[in-house]
Amino acid sequence: MNIYRLVYYSRNHVSSDDASYETAVDDILAKSRVNNVRDNITGALLFNSGCFAQVLEGPLDKVEATFERIQQDERHSDVSLLGLDPVSQRSFPNWAMGFVGLSDADAGRFAAVGLSSGFDPSRLNGEQIHILLRDLTMEEENSF
Amino acid sequence: MNTQTAAATTLASHKVEQLSFERILQGLSTAVIAIDATGLVIYANATAEASFEGWIIGLDLKDLLPGFTLLNVVQSGPTSMVLSSKSNESYEVTLAPLGDGHFVVDLRSSSKQLEAPIQTELDDLTGLAKRNMLMSHLTAAVSRGSDAASFAVHCIDLDRFKTVNDTLGHSIGDLLLKKVADRLNSACRKGDVVARLGGDEFVVLQHDVQDVAAAEKLAARIVDLVGRTYVLNGHTINIGASVGVAISEESSQPRDLLRNADLALYEAKRFGRGRYRSFESSMGALLQERRDMEVDLRRALALKQFELSYQPFLDLNDDTVIGFEALLRWNHPLKGNVPPLQFIPLAEENGLIVKIGEWVLRKACLEAATWPGEMVVAVNVSPLQFKADNLLETITSALARSGLPAHRLEVEITEGALLDDTDNVLITLTALRELGVKISMDDFGTGYSSLAYLQKFPFNKIKIDRSFVAGDNADSEAILKAVANLGISLGMSITAEGVETAEQLKRIRDERCTHVQGYFTGRPMRPEVIPAFLNQTLLATL
Repeated sequence: MNIYRLVYYSRNHVSSDDASYETAVDDILAKSRVNNVRDNITGALLFNSGCFAQVLEGPLDKVEATFERIQQDERHSDVSLLGLDPVSQRSFPNWAMGFVGLSDADAGRFAAVGLSSGFDPSRLNGEQIHILLRDLTMEEENSF
Repeated sequence: MNTQTAAATTLASHKVEQLSFERILQGLSTAVIAIDATGLVIYANATAEASFEGWIIGLDLKDLLPGFTLLNVVQSGPTSMVLSSKSNESYEVTLAPLGDGHFVVDLRSSSKQLEAPIQTELDDLTGLAKRNMLMSHLTAAVSRGSDAASFAVHCIDLDRFKTVNDTLGHSIGDLLLKKVADRLNSACRKGDVVARLGGDEFVVLQHDVQDVAAAEKLAARIVDLVGRTYVLNGHTINIGASVGVAISEESSQPRDLLRNADLALYEAKRFGRGRYRSFESSMGALLQERRDMEVDLRRALALKQFELSYQPFLDLNDDTVIGFEALLRWNHPLKGNVPPLQFIPLAEENGLIVKIGEWVLRKACLEAATWPGEMVVAVNVSPLQFKADNLLETITSALARSGLPAHRLEVEITEGALLDDTDNVLITLTALRELGVKISMDDFGTGYSSLAYLQKFPFNKIKIDRSFVAGDNADSEAILKAVANLGISLGMSITAEGVETAEQLKRIRDERCTHVQGYFTGRPMRPEVIPAFLNQTLLATL
């Protein structure tokens, strides 16, 4: 089956107070995990208080359906599609969804890879975000 | 009675008959229309005009009754059908042949629809409500009366949908419509009615609307959601949505609400699309005026209401008239002389300018061919005429039919013509130049005034906008001087427009403009007075 990779980022409309922020993120992640396992979609999610950046990998129709769900989710706005391309293999094969939160350590890590407090994803193309996400999530995975 | 008087009596009674038949028709409470073989309305009685809120002669019956087609109409006897107007009035329509492919059409209002129970027929493609279902929900909402909560009607049009259909095909277009329907559903609450009226026209009936803000919140959400990127079969698609909102008030009727939302939608589109507008009562009158004018404008060419007047321009070397600019005039039978600023932008918007412009070219060439000597006629050509792709052909044939030598025609273009598709426009301009036609750049100084355009094409003439001539400040003067010098060094003539006083004339002379045009040197005049005007100025210079 042909695998496609879709990369986007969006502004998020999640309140930044701690409790509701965590609830919203948990909710988004929980829903994503369920849907994505069912749809044979893997990927990665980068998330801070202002932006989502996400890679989705899977069959074209499922990737499109997932993206459409995101487009209809009020918590996302200014969704920018950075890339949609067929790929020979998944970069995130065993992994449904990861999360990089807002801890000081993460902030430091963003700065180290050129994503300072501003985190301006519009200056990155899809491939770069994808590489960035892969590195971040692998690191995250290893830390467990 | 001799044969002669018998014939006269027959003729007289014939006249009386004609007069009274017309009166009878006008007096009928049934709408009566006559159409020609192509379906265009050639007669409408007063009831018919009232039913469609305006003068409908010259319009296509399809435009009045969207479902109408001549295909099912037989020539041998009457044909009946039930059709709905755009405002969703239902009519029993009967067509009877008049010979020559003409038909008399009578329309009887069938009001059954209002009493009918809620219709439930759904749109095959999107699963949304169809027009009838929307109308019955709307009627039900209205009939709940003023005690119930208000509701809102949102009329939605997709921006750039046609481009998607044209470039990616109808199957992608259909998929897109489905996704739009999904997004509309997800933007609305349960109980709201989302309908597709056909094509890319959608309507949302929003229930329990507490205030204007609640309706506008949904409208903004629709603009946002529908305008987000779509991914379909691997294609990335971006369209927009324009929304017009109307909120129910006491005694509002379904038809009024839909019309009001539609008027607001029209405004949203006029203000640049991808946005919503709420209905305001002033919109009705304003837009009605614009629409009336559009209908009038469509008829004006056929009814020969346009004419040209001509404003002379002078060569400042020897102060002689060397030509005239053709200016379009619209003599409206009721409104009188309609100023170009009131109808040219509208004609540009709806594309009629292409046909009007063609008429202007042909007429101007014909009239200029009767002028003495080497007198030139300057004709404005709209950017849309370049896009229409037959400008060269039109000009060639206008010259051939009038016998006007090409060098006596001057085509005036604005920068707007060069903004898009510059290469093709340059090809057309070059071909025109090769014919011998002169090309001038009009209104220079008001738009981008890009010097690159002057470099890309060797214009014969630059016309400096009147605002720099009228302004008597140092800035205007500096600009005037700069453009004049620029023209001289590029080998182009410079016309100063809008010269109204002797003082202004002196100034532009000092700044080395080569030509002048304005009230001071000659007002626009009707073609028949041109010979006398030329004789007079000739005498004056002697």
